Amino acid sequence: MTQPPTPHPDTQWPRWEVFKQDAPGRPHQAVGSVHAGDPQHALVTARNVFVRRPAAVSLWTVREADILTATPEELGTRPEVLDTPGEAGTYHVGLKRTHKRSMTFVDLVGTVEASGPGDALRQAREAHPDALTWLVFPESGVVRTDEDPGTVESWFAPAKDKTYKQQQYYGVIGRHIGELKREGLMPGRAKEGVQE
Amino acid sequence: MTATEQQAAGTLSGPLRAALIEKLTALADDEIILAHRDGEWTGHAPILEEDIALANIAQDELGHAGLYLELRRALDGSDADQLAFFRDAADYRSARFVELPKGDWAFTMVRQFLFDTYEALWLDAARTSTYAPLAEVAEKAFREEKFHLQHTALWVERLALGTGESRRRTQAALDELWPYAAQLFQPVPGEAELVAARIVPDLDKLRGSWESFVLPHLTGKCGLTLPDAPADAGAGRDTHTEHLAPLLAEMQSVARAVPNAEVW
Repeated sequence: MTQPPTPHPDTQWPRWEVFKQDAPGRPHQAVGSVHAGDPQHALVTARNVFVRRPAAVSLWTVREADILTATPEELGTRPEVLDTPGEAGTYHVGLKRTHKRSMTFVDLVGTVEASGPGDALRQAREAHPDALTWLVFPESGVVRTDEDPGTVESWFAPAKDKTYKQQQYYGVIGRHIGELKREGLMPGRAKEGVQE
Repeated sequence: MTATEQQAAGTLSGPLRAALIEKLTALADDEIILAHRDGEWTGHAPILEEDIALANIAQDELGHAGLYLELRRALDGSDADQLAFFRDAADYRSARFVELPKGDWAFTMVRQFLFDTYEALWLDAARTSTYAPLAEVAEKAFREEKFHLQHTALWVERLALGTGESRRRTQAALDELWPYAAQLFQPVPGEAELVAARIVPDLDKLRGSWESFVLPHLTGKCGLTLPDAPADAGAGRDTHTEHLAPLLAEMQSVARAVPNAEVW
């Protein structure tokens, strides 16, 4: 029997990881990813998806294929990752340091000069042995928003003026569940000695 | 309504005030209708990221409508929600350009590109309006519009230079939209007096700037062909396409079903 064709071929555009800087002097942080056809499209899309609220001053996107990541466990079973070849040059290093639930998981902590991505990962591990994940990508793979005042103003300023409304802000039909709970009108643990 | 708005509104003569009300309504109505058309893509855009992006643009445009209608409120005490949800098609002052159905993605992007360019240039010029509340609103909305324009210019370029199919659709969208775009530069009754008082930008001048931006992009960068179109925009903003009434019927249905609702 012949193999049927793959039922769901991957028709997605390349994936780009998005790094957002909240304020000058703060690290760029991984906030998620977008699919886009080319670098400029990736940036524009990232702005729409990740800078609606609240503040940002700079965005970077990096094509998924340009990023090398590893956990200590992965390096234990596949040490050859540290030999991953690639272009020599400046590499950015990102770290995941905690399992705590968060909007962001990876902070960029600086750059290293490396002979390739494997070497960059090795240096990242030496400098930060306690990290839960290391992430490296070459400077040449970074697409950045312009830093001129006009771009910063049109890309990032409008979001600052907008109110970020928590879910609870929106009205509900009837009364809010929290209100009912506070008044003891919601079924919950039986209160001792209370007779309705 | 701020004290400044109230004070500025008090300085306008009767005819100027009436003309400005008409103009603000036209500006707001274009934004409301276009936002609704863009909003029709929610859940249907080609990819998730663009779904979010277009909803975001639609929300911004609706926000601009809110700003214009606040300015109108300072002039005649009208209520934005009442105007948006309880006016019939005959009382709307939207251009036919924004009423056309959303079409395919190319149609939506070409329309948004043509509109964003017009709006960005209008707002840029309105930042020096002698009517201070309008200058303030323009300053605020201009920043957002500049970003919209980058997004839609990018899409038009990629669609025009993409595949044979995307090119065909983009050209077809331009062919259909181009004649309608002229109406964006048609003044409302009394607009000449507003221009003379330097309250709003001169649309003739604006059209020149608009063409010198969109033409190189469309025909140069994107290699599209400009269709022939009559220079005359045709009937005024009190004449609508047959598409407006069904759009309003849907957009207004919830508000009209519960007209006394206080919280949504």
